Amino acid sequence: MDYFALLAINGLVIGLIYALMAAGLTLIFSVLKVVNFGHGTLYMLGGYASYYAITYLGVPPPAGVVLAMVALFAFGVVFERLVLHPMYTNKVERKDEYAIIVTFGLTVLLLNLGIVVFGPFSKSPPPFLAGALIAGPLIITYDRLIAAIAAIVLLSALSWFLARTSLGQALDAVSQSRESAAVIGINPRRMYTVAFGLGSALAAGAGALIAPIFALSPNMGELPAVQAFIIIVLGGMGSVGGSIVGGILLGVVEGLGVGFFPDPNRALAYTEAFGALLLVFTLLVRPTGLFGRPHARLE
Amino acid sequence: MTRSHAVQAVLLIAALALPAWAGPYWVHVGAIAWYYALLASSWALLAGYAGQFSFAHVAFAALGGYASALLSLHFGIPPGIGVVAGIVLAMVAGALIGWLVLRLTGPYLALFTLALSEIFRLMLVAEQQLTRGSLGLQVPGWFGGESDRPYYYFGLSLLVAALLLMAGLLRTRVGLFLRAIRDDEGAARAAGVNTTLYKILVFVVTSGLAGLAGTYYGPFVGILTPSMVILPEMGLVIAMAVIGGIESLPGAAVGAVIVYGLSELTREYGQWRFVLLGLALILVQRFAQNGIFAVLERPLLRPPAVEAERGRG
Amino acid sequence: MDEAEFFAADGLSKHFGGIIAVDGLSISLSRGELVGLIGPNGSGKTTTINMVAGALRPDEGTIRLRGVTMTGSPAHVFARGGVARTFQVPRLFRRMTVLENLIVPALSNPAARRAEAERRAGEVLSFLRLEHLTRSLARALSGGQQKLLELGRALMLRPSLLLLDEPFAGVHPQLLAQIMEHIGSLNAGGHTIIVVDHNIDAIRSLVRRTVVMAQGRKIADGPSEDVLRDPAVIRAYTGARDAH
Repeated sequence: MDYFALLAINGLVIGLIYALMAAGLTLIFSVLKVVNFGHGTLYMLGGYASYYAITYLGVPPPAGVVLAMVALFAFGVVFERLVLHPMYTNKVERKDEYAIIVTFGLTVLLLNLGIVVFGPFSKSPPPFLAGALIAGPLIITYDRLIAAIAAIVLLSALSWFLARTSLGQALDAVSQSRESAAVIGINPRRMYTVAFGLGSALAAGAGALIAPIFALSPNMGELPAVQAFIIIVLGGMGSVGGSIVGGILLGVVEGLGVGFFPDPNRALAYTEAFGALLLVFTLLVRPTGLFGRPHARLE
Repeated sequence: MTRSHAVQAVLLIAALALPAWAGPYWVHVGAIAWYYALLASSWALLAGYAGQFSFAHVAFAALGGYASALLSLHFGIPPGIGVVAGIVLAMVAGALIGWLVLRLTGPYLALFTLALSEIFRLMLVAEQQLTRGSLGLQVPGWFGGESDRPYYYFGLSLLVAALLLMAGLLRTRVGLFLRAIRDDEGAARAAGVNTTLYKILVFVVTSGLAGLAGTYYGPFVGILTPSMVILPEMGLVIAMAVIGGIESLPGAAVGAVIVYGLSELTREYGQWRFVLLGLALILVQRFAQNGIFAVLERPLLRPPAVEAERGRG
Repeated sequence: MDEAEFFAADGLSKHFGGIIAVDGLSISLSRGELVGLIGPNGSGKTTTINMVAGALRPDEGTIRLRGVTMTGSPAHVFARGGVARTFQVPRLFRRMTVLENLIVPALSNPAARRAEAERRAGEVLSFLRLEHLTRSLARALSGGQQKLLELGRALMLRPSLLLLDEPFAGVHPQLLAQIMEHIGSLNAGGHTIIVVDHNIDAIRSLVRRTVVMAQGRKIADGPSEDVLRDPAVIRAYTGARDAH
């Protein structure tokens, strides 16, 4: 039983990281109506940005996380301005395809740039705090604990920001209707930029928090990105709250799932496939997601 | 567009003549390039013409390749029949996928096919008794001898046949309906087009061609591995088609040959080539959505005429 | 076949989640009729058009055209069966030429030949006075020209029943007059037409019979002059306006 409690706690920590990823992806999707296929590489960049800030600039680890988020916010803003922006003009005819191709192109670019610049081998930043919390039979490293707490703080801050600040409400207004938002004086294009920057920063925060727990490698973003896709589809493509709950649930289920497979070889392959299967079935049954509002597609 | 036909004829002659003056290395490269050109051009039909942005295209190639190889291996079926069976299986799977994704569009379709492709790859890895997993499945060659020339010419003829088949299909009303579906599916239905039928049809045709590419690739390379289905492979095919022109089937095929040829020419730059590929993918999509060849011809023709003609293929 | 039964929608209902968009609506038309369908925003007009065009399957009710039950068939079967429609905001094949836009519906009939389809497209274009745009891309057309082209695309189906969803919305007065003239001459030529619009003046001068919907139900149906004076209709409109 203790074994499963431990798995559940570790799953919860990973789930919070997934939730950060998924919240950023959802923010981008709900405001821009774009699925960011480059989200995993932004997470990777965040991890490395934090690593280099800590090891080369000598900043303390928490400041490394903040710096990574700021850097990736700036990166997201620039990418949105330079590459995604033409989507909102009449120059781009196939908008869905355009967004998939350029964000997927971003993945190809950054993943390989990561391999060239950071090297294919994994790197580990120093821990936030060495040691572990021991509560009876449960052992949880301080790094996991800190990552979990930081993720909760970031998610709470995001929720507060979206609900209570005028910028957050402007983002929400644009996500509900571009036209109505424009009517009440909100510039949707500025909100697209803000949303993409924030989404990138959240991915970076997730990557920077996970870095001391798992090592950094250029392809570290692939699995969490797939998980984030699953979560936003389950969560209804556009509900930030749904994506947070979905992320935590998926992390816990995944964490516990490892405990149940007897054959390790197939188990490994099929645990990965499990998430993909979940995605496939959700899209088939409810293209708008399990928690999404049912909206009739009018012709 | 007779000028473009002339260009295509010149390219075909150059491709036919290449083994006469290039060394065996480039013949080998060319034979692999035909595999990618088959995939890129059929994907362009699926994604560019019909608007079905699928990430599962390379999975159909692997399905065709593995199925024909396994049938020969386990049941002693002659390779020719194995190839046909592999292609038919890919077409049946294509019909099934086409039917499943009828309600999905844009990013939903992309995510669905991405996940499906990933499941298929993991099955290839996990079912080791059947597929030999990551070790790879040995496939006996078709032609004896050391030379790659038979494969080169065989692959080239497959490519030309596939391009002619697709061009022929697009010249019929099917081409018109596919573009109508891409532009507005609901309006196409309101105009009397059986969108269900044509969407499934385009999946069947393009999956069959991808399966064909896979059945050719296996015997030539001698081994099939699950890495045929990894996302970077699909990314390569997408980049080839986008760079060559996602709405021009010959453009996508030439794009594939150029991208693959350049990547072989610049081998010493290693991973940097893929950095450039990602950058090229973004830049071409950003500044030349109809591919690099459309940019090259633009000054020669009036823009509206280019677009109208291009649309017609 | 009973002439009064040329087209009959009987007891149509449609729910979206908990919202009832259309609630037990019945309309029947005789051949060659020109009927206006009006109602405040959210009264269910577009949902009705979508059901009659086969784009939405009604939860309840039946649709019959010339005695044939169409209910439950896919939209393209409705279209080939003679129900043609336009959309509130034109939905053209934007990256195809004007001519190609027109021959798609014609060629959706497997027996049709391309040369014949192009000849008929030429006729439709000259009727709409758009011949000069034959080879243009649809997306290059002005808003008004797009509306006309969409009407033309519907005509290419040789429709028994033409559904026009807000043909006057967002068009300038000169074009409005032209579209009204087209609708009038199509009706005079024997087409049966339902026009949905907000422009009460245009409806009043165009159609003899008007159906009014409010909150998913039919609240009036009869000669336009009587219906538009009906206190219940006026209340539905002003009430809806108050609620905004």
